[in-house]
Amino acid sequence: MNPFELAEPRSLKAALKLLDAGDESVRVFGGGTALMLMMKAGVFQPTRLISLRGVESRYARVTAAKDGSLHIGALTTLTTLGRAAAVRSKAPVIAGTLQTLSNVRVRNVATLGGHLAHADPHMDLPPVLIALDAQVVTAATAGLRTLAVADLFTGYYETALARNELISEVIVPAQTGRRSAYVKLTTRAADDWPTLGIAVSLQTDGRVIEDARFVVGAATEKPLRLPSVEAVLRGATADDAVLARAGEAAAAAAELVGDARGSAAYKTELLRVYAGRAVRKALAA
Amino acid sequence: MATTSGNSKSGAAEFSALGRSIPRVEARAKVTGRAEYVHNLRLPGMLYGRIHRSTVAHARIRSVDVSAAQAVPGVYAVYTAADVQRLIPEPYYGPAFHDQPILALGKVHHVGEPVALVLAADPHVADAAAQLIVADYEELPAVFDEVEAMTSAAVVHEVLKPAGTFPDLKHLKGKRDTNIALDFHLRRGDVQKAFAEADHVFEHTFRTQQVLHLPLEPFVTVADPTPSQLVIHTASQSPSFVRIEIARLLGWPENRVRVKVPYLGGGFGAKLYIKLEALAAAAALLAGRPVKIALTMEEQFYTLTKHATTLRIKSGVTKDGKITVRECEVWWNGGAYADIGPRITQKSGFTAPGPYDIDHVSIDSYSLYTNLPPAGALRGFGIPQLVWAYESHTDMIAKALHMDPLAIRRINILREGRPQATGTLMRDAGIDPVLERLAQRMAWEKPFDKGSGTIRRGRGIAIGFKASISPTTSVAIVNISADGSCNVYCSTVDMGQGSDTAMAQIVAEALGIPVASVTLVHPDTDVTPYDMATLGSRSTYHMGHAVKNAAEDARDKLLQLARDVGLSAETTPIPDIFRKKYGMQAGNIVGVGSFIPPYTPPESGTGQTPDATPFWMIGATGAEVEVDTETGEFKVTRLVNLVDVGRPVNPAIVETQISGATIMQLGFTLSERMDFDAGQVTNASLADYKIPGMRDIPAMMENEAVDMVQHSGPFGAKGVGESGTFGVSPAIASAIDDAVGVRLTSLPLTAEAVYRGLRAQAGKPLQD
Repeated sequence: MNPFELAEPRSLKAALKLLDAGDESVRVFGGGTALMLMMKAGVFQPTRLISLRGVESRYARVTAAKDGSLHIGALTTLTTLGRAAAVRSKAPVIAGTLQTLSNVRVRNVATLGGHLAHADPHMDLPPVLIALDAQVVTAATAGLRTLAVADLFTGYYETALARNELISEVIVPAQTGRRSAYVKLTTRAADDWPTLGIAVSLQTDGRVIEDARFVVGAATEKPLRLPSVEAVLRGATADDAVLARAGEAAAAAAELVGDARGSAAYKTELLRVYAGRAVRKALAA
Repeated sequence: MATTSGNSKSGAAEFSALGRSIPRVEARAKVTGRAEYVHNLRLPGMLYGRIHRSTVAHARIRSVDVSAAQAVPGVYAVYTAADVQRLIPEPYYGPAFHDQPILALGKVHHVGEPVALVLAADPHVADAAAQLIVADYEELPAVFDEVEAMTSAAVVHEVLKPAGTFPDLKHLKGKRDTNIALDFHLRRGDVQKAFAEADHVFEHTFRTQQVLHLPLEPFVTVADPTPSQLVIHTASQSPSFVRIEIARLLGWPENRVRVKVPYLGGGFGAKLYIKLEALAAAAALLAGRPVKIALTMEEQFYTLTKHATTLRIKSGVTKDGKITVRECEVWWNGGAYADIGPRITQKSGFTAPGPYDIDHVSIDSYSLYTNLPPAGALRGFGIPQLVWAYESHTDMIAKALHMDPLAIRRINILREGRPQATGTLMRDAGIDPVLERLAQRMAWEKPFDKGSGTIRRGRGIAIGFKASISPTTSVAIVNISADGSCNVYCSTVDMGQGSDTAMAQIVAEALGIPVASVTLVHPDTDVTPYDMATLGSRSTYHMGHAVKNAAEDARDKLLQLARDVGLSAETTPIPDIFRKKYGMQAGNIVGVGSFIPPYTPPESGTGQTPDATPFWMIGATGAEVEVDTETGEFKVTRLVNLVDVGRPVNPAIVETQISGATIMQLGFTLSERMDFDAGQVTNASLADYKIPGMRDIPAMMENEAVDMVQHSGPFGAKGVGESGTFGVSPAIASAIDDAVGVRLTSLPLTAEAVYRGLRAQAGKPLQD
């Protein structure tokens, strides 16, 4: 690893100023867990790193608004996120997902903002946050903007963020009446990156699913909502036949990528089976 | 849940220090971060070396341009093979073949082979400069598969260069244009006739993948050229070998090279023979400064691995399930350098038919060069690959004959006093007791819940055995001080297996003193005497004998001293004997011991010998699994591991050795695999190469050493480090077959492979 300059701005504004240089070898980091791996592998050689850990503490906090929504500062560590009482009560699927997300050493330093901005398709929270219809607030010297997490990801390790733009907050809307689940499948060691991730969020009325959001991650270039699966589920009762149809729809719609964790054909079969299992898990949540 | 039991009958009662689960002597230093490791060593004026490695699998080197690296401010020197040759004209090393150059010379033979070395006082400068080196290659056809290597036009080494230390390799000297580094053959009985007479003949082919040791402490060496000596501080399992080999390379007497080894953060066979030592030594001598070379985790993937193998087994069986004849062919993928591969091919190769009593046996075992990173010893020395094949084969025969897996083993097992394939009679080999105890713990003869619906359950058993390495030598010194405390000088390396504790227990037992009064002096070739190496589960037995002999020698001298000064040796406290002799607390008693077990080399061509090994290691595993029939996913719910380690010196350490070996083999069975693209490892990191974590360990894991005594061993003990690896892979594969009728013949066992098997079974193979 080569030497580099480390900046530790005390405010988000100062951090944004340091970014304006528009130099590819200048990067911000939250926990640095992903960036360090890239630097060790020689894939990324920074001239300057900007640590966000010293910026205003409000960006590392979780608060619940009166309307039931969660406001999560982008620098909230994954451990803080998973333990926050507000998260556990308002969006327990997030806390559940974090239990098997990487390991405790990574979770203790990795931040939610970095987790999203890195845009590695194997990350667990992007499909979950899309299923929850969450939004990100971003900051640039020009001002703030808000966009859906679903619109944040534009491709493999690619986001809609401008080079001088940072995620400052994630907003999870009130989940009243919704049941959600995330299924993470690993085919090698348990703490591997997921072979396939499925996030489901359902609005139910008794046994009837009124609305569904169904998201696939890890085996795709970016997390994908599958409208055809959602259409099968919408207005239906989750019996074996419906879930089988949902699985067929998922397998037909998703174009999955094969890798060392499994061939595309096998991942498609996993999706066919686990689509229904994920819906069942959500209904049981 | 983990439990240990056993060894109650032969009991610890007759001993004071043996058979007790004394906490490890170094435990406190390790958990408080004060144990000594080479990674922490910094010497004044020390330079850091960073290696520039080959990017191609097989090529002639046209040129290596180091000018840009040399121009980097802070770079002290950049060396290539030409610089090394100024110091060492023939810079080739290796335990079996002198085939490995200190830096690539003429050709590169695998991706990741060291080509040049950058030295700088700042490791980051060295790192940056190493990336600026440009090598120009004329690429050559490469061979990666071990079976293809038998006949491939691509030849890794033009000429074979056996080291000359092993008589059975001498005939290979100067042999040209072959990738076969060693062919070992064993013949017993009349194989052809027996096949003709067999009721049934079964033939199967199995494969294992290339994996690696991944000690959490990567390779590290510091070489310090002092005015009188070259001092090498290294994380090595074989300090004596390092001294001899470095002295040979330099043409120096042994005593001008001093090799010091503190604790190791794991070795598993990776840190044997020469790894970084020759490169660090050459660089330090060229630079005239201390040089430290510490590899990254990623570089370990290009340093030493475990042989991938292809194994073909054919058996003739009577209608009652008695195996009458077996033919084994094994192809070991040795990678670009032989390392100790030819020894594995022979020393493990002769057990390829398994622990079975078979009259007619043929074995052909081939050590192959390929253009992959070199392969060598890894916890089991080839045995886990062989057990994978012969135990899978045994269960496939049992299934075809509608026989129970335990029943077929009971019919065929190699019992005490019977000849093994080499002709050597089995002595103190607890094959039968290990198998029976395993069956008992698995409640094998009771009904088993096979599951229902989409979750099906199955179970499997497997048993393997291993010969110890021979002939090898260990020497030890025991030094009793005037207060009765003592130091043990031995070159056994405690790499986490607990040898310091075991040796202290053996010496304490022999001298009748508390274990706390015994301190181990760590390997330092100026101080501690010769030991062949810490490998092959040999230390407890070989060095155990040597330290016991040394302690007994010291005790005899002490008794003589007591008699000389007119004291009763049996009742006088040790300090009083010294005080009476020297008038004060002064003096030493030094005892010396050595050990070399009897051995008869195998007859060339037939592999027959009456004395193949000083002792046998036995290991068996029972596995229970749950398989999801919709996805092929499976969970190992229970592992029962049984071993014969003779009489355990320290039952708690024995248990951690069994469980550690089992978990390591579990990774090689389920999740670990080096992936390659044109010889380049595509998953060379812990993020992408998956070793088992806590959540991968079965909910139920039981480890037991059966009640046995190795009569030739020190206080009845023998080695334990590898036995837990033997049965894991085939037991799990058989359990999967038992659950869903899918038989996998290649490692690792993946959910996808099970799923594809289920689809094929249903007549609807999965299309890609």
